[in-house]
Amino acid sequence: MPAITRNTVPAISVSGLSHAFRGHQALSNVSFCVLPQTLHGFVGPNGAGKTTTMRMICTLLQPNKGEVEIFGSNVRQNISAVRRRIGYMPDHFSMYRQMTVAEYLDFFGTAYGLTQVQRDRVIGDVLTLTDMDGRRNDLISGLSRGMQQRVSLARVLVHDPDLLLLDEPASGLDPRARIELMEILRELRRIGKTVFISSHILSELADLCDAVTVIDRGQVRYSGPMDLLLETTDQQPLWNLRLTTVLPGIIEKIKALPGVAEVTEPEFSNGRDFIIRSAEGLTGNDLLRALLPLDLPLASFGLQRRHLNDAFMDLTTRGVPA
Amino acid sequence: MISGTTALFVWTLRADNRSVWPHVVRGAFAFMMLFTLSLAWTDAFGTTRIGLRFFETICSLNILIISVAGISYFSTAVTEEKDAGTLALLQLAGMSPLAITLGKSTSRLVSSLMLLAVQVPFSFLAVTLGGVLWQQLLAAWCALAAWLILVANAALLCSARCSTSGRAAAVAGSSAILFFLLPAVTRTTTAAIPPGILPQPVMTVLTNLPGALEIVSPLKRIDQILNNWQNTGFFGSQFTVSILMAAACFAVSTCRLTAWARHVSDSESLSGPAKRRLPVERCWKLPLIWRDFHFYTGGWPFFTMKFLAGFAVYASFVAIQQVSTDRWNIVLEQDFGWTAMLVFASVLTVEVLLYSSGSLFSELRQSTQSTIAMTPCSTVSILLQKAAGCLIAVLPAVFWSMFTLTVSRTSVLTLVDMDTIVVWGLMLIFSSHVAALFSLYTRWAALPLTVLVSFFAFFVIAGPVLTIPDVVDRIAITHNYRPSRAFAWTITAFWTWLFTLLPLQLWIRDQWIKLSRQ
Repeated sequence: MPAITRNTVPAISVSGLSHAFRGHQALSNVSFCVLPQTLHGFVGPNGAGKTTTMRMICTLLQPNKGEVEIFGSNVRQNISAVRRRIGYMPDHFSMYRQMTVAEYLDFFGTAYGLTQVQRDRVIGDVLTLTDMDGRRNDLISGLSRGMQQRVSLARVLVHDPDLLLLDEPASGLDPRARIELMEILRELRRIGKTVFISSHILSELADLCDAVTVIDRGQVRYSGPMDLLLETTDQQPLWNLRLTTVLPGIIEKIKALPGVAEVTEPEFSNGRDFIIRSAEGLTGNDLLRALLPLDLPLASFGLQRRHLNDAFMDLTTRGVPA
Repeated sequence: MISGTTALFVWTLRADNRSVWPHVVRGAFAFMMLFTLSLAWTDAFGTTRIGLRFFETICSLNILIISVAGISYFSTAVTEEKDAGTLALLQLAGMSPLAITLGKSTSRLVSSLMLLAVQVPFSFLAVTLGGVLWQQLLAAWCALAAWLILVANAALLCSARCSTSGRAAAVAGSSAILFFLLPAVTRTTTAAIPPGILPQPVMTVLTNLPGALEIVSPLKRIDQILNNWQNTGFFGSQFTVSILMAAACFAVSTCRLTAWARHVSDSESLSGPAKRRLPVERCWKLPLIWRDFHFYTGGWPFFTMKFLAGFAVYASFVAIQQVSTDRWNIVLEQDFGWTAMLVFASVLTVEVLLYSSGSLFSELRQSTQSTIAMTPCSTVSILLQKAAGCLIAVLPAVFWSMFTLTVSRTSVLTLVDMDTIVVWGLMLIFSSHVAALFSLYTRWAALPLTVLVSFFAFFVIAGPVLTIPDVVDRIAITHNYRPSRAFAWTITAFWTWLFTLLPLQLWIRDQWIKLSRQ
């Protein structure tokens, strides 16, 4: 993830965003920042204000209060300039089902003012990227949900935007389609796109995203690097140890080591995974040094990270917003 | 079955009750009564048959509205479940085909019968005004109710058979047009064909067809009731046959619902990758024109078909004229010219209203309005492109109307003058705007509401539209200038646009922007 410097213009800068629908405060002083060329997750319970924020970022909705800037351009003042730099994929299927895949992309390419030569090249590229090359002449109505989602993604990429706003792109997809979608998103980050993605599938976001913003009841609960959010909050860090084989009585041996406060076996570990709580002031190196004399068949050793689910549950409030 | 049917029935009635539009339509019907009353009063002032004139207008309007509304309202009864993919869920919940057809259609039918019922007390004013008996009134309302029940069940059959609402509406609409046009066309054809040309059995069928169709015709029945009351019964055969036909449609819909629904889901899931048979050309520079022309109106194949159909219609008129007058002439004379013009003008009117009420709605149905809004096209450009796409599609009807008007001018002008034709054109443009606007607010009522509003607006718009050219002429003459009629009509068109079309255009634009943001 790129470091924030004075010269880095944020891809998205949201400050003091507030919005109310018929007396219901949907957003309240929402502020966060998305760095360029990163994958930024946007999570929150249903009704938290994710889609409202998304629609304000993509210029479809004017906020009552606050400012949104896309690569330094204000969305109120430079709507057309902003729209050319963003690709928005809404949370519902929005497709001309009677068109073929190529016609659909050709239509949007033309709407964005691309010449026929440019369209031919771009359509080929985006279909290759989304692995839909072989389906270009298929009617959209005959495609599976996962494939339609890929076509939506291809449509978003047709005018080569710098910023992609994806609202629940993985909803309703089977595991294979989800994994493939995540691969495409990684590829997009690699080629320099900024991706702002809202999703409920937290486990995949944790692996995928560089940063995350958690929103609940219209307020930002956390916005920053994913690693920072997933660090354990305990004073004594937890360490994850995995062995290649099962060794009987190993827990007692580890417990007896100096500097080890507690050893537990997580559920479904098959006797090869252990969580070690070290004594106060002990670093990972110290602990590893203490473990080496045991000559363990080590598979991996690392800091135990919180699961995004746990962080999410800690940050958000129980119950449905009124 | 009863609990499922009741749940569906109550739910649909509740949804209907909560929506503001059915109430607006009912209010509009009540207003219509008042309007027709004043119309009858001015029209028949000084005569003793004001009540008859008043009630005749009410009946004609009701037949028109039932026929138009029936297509758009009842034909979606089952297909809206198919469109949403919930028909299978209803079946899984243990609802039998009878429960589904009964639950989905009865509530709509009751809701529509309520529209008729709201008018009944007002219509009794006709008895006071004179010229009609209360027995005639009740008999006419029964005939209208029977027609409504027949339309509802015939549309239900289309809804059960077709896979989408669009197809169901198209089939139901075509059937209704055919029903009303076929007797006149068949009569004219059989009268014009000299004996011996067609085989006797064919001639017998053609001769008896109009009479058979008119058994259920509400127009014929109302005419009988109001003008030949002594020789007709209270119910008449129209009522009985309509109810029997409606029951047959309902029975077929119910019996075949499962098989037809299975056929739809099978063809969706087992067909594999779907390919189009005819290729579509590359996207035009203005993409929404291309989109609407090719994917909403049917594109070049449909365009060519309509053009050839127009040619066939005109050629048929020429052929019939030749057979009856024994003289070949491309110019249609006497009644042939204006009849042909009437056919083309009717087709053009129906096409314009269907396209204008469906073009913007098709975007809402596919939830594509916000995606289009994100492109660099401005809202005005989006709306104009969509209108242009539909305009290309109506060119065959425009061409054949203009061709008939130009070539067979003398015959056409025996029925209407040029001023009336221009007023019709302006009213058509006005109605297309109204239909487009209503389609952004309501799902099924856009067309019937447009018919209602256009009917009332005609009296408001036609007066000034017909007067302005004369005023322009007089003002020009006082300044020693003698303008052509075309100049006067240009001025009229400008004022009509400024005071009626522009406000509608701005309203459509604002509503479209609002919907794009949702």
